[in-house]
Amino acid sequence: MRLTLSFIMLALLAACSQVQPWERGYLAKQEMAWDSDPLERALNDHIFFSKEASSGGNTAAGGGCGCN
Amino acid sequence: MKKPASRSLIALSTSALALPGIAEADAPPLTSSLSYKISNYQEDDLSREQVPFGELERYDIDVHQFQFVSPLGRDYALFIDANHENMSGASPWFSTAGSNGQPVINMSGASGIYDSRSEVSLGVRYYGARGNIGGAIGYSEENDYRAKYVSMSGSRNFNNDLTTLTVSLSHSDDSIFPSDAERFNRVRHENKQASSVAVSLSQVLNPVASFQTALSLTGQSGYLSDPYKLQDSRPDGKTQIAFSNSLRYFFIKADGALQSDYRYYRDNFGIRSHTLDLSWFQNVTRSFKVVPMLRYYSQSAANFYTNIDDFLKPLSESQSSDYRLSAFGAVSGGLSFVTDFGGWSATLTAERYVANEKYSAFTVAQPSPGLVQFTRLSLGVNYAF
Repeated sequence: MRLTLSFIMLALLAACSQVQPWERGYLAKQEMAWDSDPLERALNDHIFFSKEASSGGNTAAGGGCGCN
Repeated sequence: MKKPASRSLIALSTSALALPGIAEADAPPLTSSLSYKISNYQEDDLSREQVPFGELERYDIDVHQFQFVSPLGRDYALFIDANHENMSGASPWFSTAGSNGQPVINMSGASGIYDSRSEVSLGVRYYGARGNIGGAIGYSEENDYRAKYVSMSGSRNFNNDLTTLTVSLSHSDDSIFPSDAERFNRVRHENKQASSVAVSLSQVLNPVASFQTALSLTGQSGYLSDPYKLQDSRPDGKTQIAFSNSLRYFFIKADGALQSDYRYYRDNFGIRSHTLDLSWFQNVTRSFKVVPMLRYYSQSAANFYTNIDDFLKPLSESQSSDYRLSAFGAVSGGLSFVTDFGGWSATLTAERYVANEKYSAFTVAQPSPGLVQFTRLSLGVNYAF
């Protein structure tokens, strides 16, 4: 597992290139955002939190609810 | 004499400043925006084989979400979120052995459960030259549950703004006061707390790809059982770890983007899970996108999960027949249509979710008869001004 993760990290670092500001047009598109639709993400987090045992992800959790 | 910057260079620099998760982190939104989304999701009814007596109908939930985002001066932004949901239906109460020895469910709420939940949160964020820092407070109220929470997060850019490190913290203080507590001998009033910390690292890989890896740690303490189940006793502490990896990749020839998110989760209840989310954003015209989505989820069972309640077992020993603690897998698929016109945008989404023990990536020693399937429809509108 650790070896695989190390390999993935190394491969990603090797894939990195110096992207100049004028080359970032595609990265600036809304669909390339980590959170391209905050309300959709919040709704999904809430629904899956109430149907499954897992929670947590890229940010710290918010408040709980009686649904789980 | 210094040469003035060309118009094209200014335009390119401006578009670079709109980078998601990078320059976006360094500047407040340029305009205010108001968003509203209405959703309905309905869980499928159970069958008479699963529930020999009583209600078959499960939850039907309407959700209203509002969000207001506005710049505050040059360096700050204000975020206000409000949600309201109404739910009605019934949920599994306890589980027994049927005439063939297989587990069957007994549902709560002979005349149905009606509940509503309202939540509001307020956040402010400061944007500096190399990052941002902000916080939010929130409050959520139900007929039988109250949560007060606070969160903070900060991001810092490095490496010519190609790398972003984000740290976030949150704490929630919750109160539980079940309905009909005396009548059904439920707990009267209990509390629980949850604190979490998350660290994420984002990296631009090339002009069309970026990657993010994140680790989050959550600790819960207090009353973690379900007061509405007849026999439900869980440990009073829980530690959760989630390791997430996300990739965004733009395919120039196809004029579409792939969003890929994977999460590995485990906790000290004994649950491990894998979640894979894939979305494809296909630009059909400049103002119209089609977004198919596919999600796979699978979890192992909690150490104390049982699919037939043992009423002879003392409550001092952990036990639960909650289907959410069983081993299962779930597949969901959806389709969104997104359109922009002027300052307006609208999103229509349909999704179908099916959980089944056959989809599990983990061993299923005791399949739950209460796994859920639901259908969701959402319509969202956003106005920027």
